[in-house]
Amino acid sequence: MASHRSAVLTDQPYTDPNPLPSSVPHVDELGVTSAPLKSASFFIGQHCKEVNEDFMLCKQENRDPAHCLAEGRKVTRCAAEVITKIRENCLAEFDAHWQCLEKNNQYFQACRKPEKALNQCVFTKLNLTKSIPGSPEGQAQIHEKASPIFTRVQK
Amino acid sequence: MSHGFKQDMPPAGGYEAIKYKRNLPVRGFGGAVVFSAVAAICTFGFWRVGKGNIEKRELKREQAWSRINIVPLLLAEQDRDAYRRQQAALAREKEIMKDYPGWEAGKSAYNSSRYTPNTIVVL
Repeated sequence: MASHRSAVLTDQPYTDPNPLPSSVPHVDELGVTSAPLKSASFFIGQHCKEVNEDFMLCKQENRDPAHCLAEGRKVTRCAAEVITKIRENCLAEFDAHWQCLEKNNQYFQACRKPEKALNQCVFTKLNLTKSIPGSPEGQAQIHEKASPIFTRVQK
Repeated sequence: MSHGFKQDMPPAGGYEAIKYKRNLPVRGFGGAVVFSAVAAICTFGFWRVGKGNIEKRELKREQAWSRINIVPLLLAEQDRDAYRRQQAALAREKEIMKDYPGWEAGKSAYNSSRYTPNTIVVL
């Protein structure tokens, strides 16, 4: 976007109280902050792979926000479903992990213990696994490493 | 031989040898041991740095994929908001320009079907 001025308004917030047109079906926004989202990201990525890819392919076709609203609603519903399921089944583990992320600069490597508990719980209850695409074959993935070098920032 | 003098003579058995050689007792490890120990420590350190670099790469990969996984839902949410604002701006434009015949509200400044976001926000 070529523009000679940045879209930062310092004197007043960029708000617009007008609601979405009624032709667009309502979908509840996720309303999740960054740490829980990061904690659940790999499960969202696995569970919602198809709708996510569908949406991104649609965005590749056309960047217009109006073009992919239907696909976007599916994406949001799917993510909300995953978050709800995790909270129903593994609330304690989930809370422990995202609060650990919150307190450790959102570094995954600082929160392997609660993450292990969460992964275990989500795997048994929801059958979702965390897997990082492109990790070296035949080795433990970084979150499963027995004695990692980088753990948490020393205080 | 009794003229009252007694000649000063060396002690019996002669003087002991003059100590002119350096007297530095050998202490600690030898050079070879120290050198090889330093080499071993450095080797271990570099090996660990290498391991750490590999681990850092994997941590970056983990970080990247955790973000990639949530891009669609963030984008979807943002799109709904952008669409809502666009529609509101369009309605405002229509209302303002309703007495101006021939005005096409929401017409792009570009002669292109490609999506071109507005660079000016009217509050």
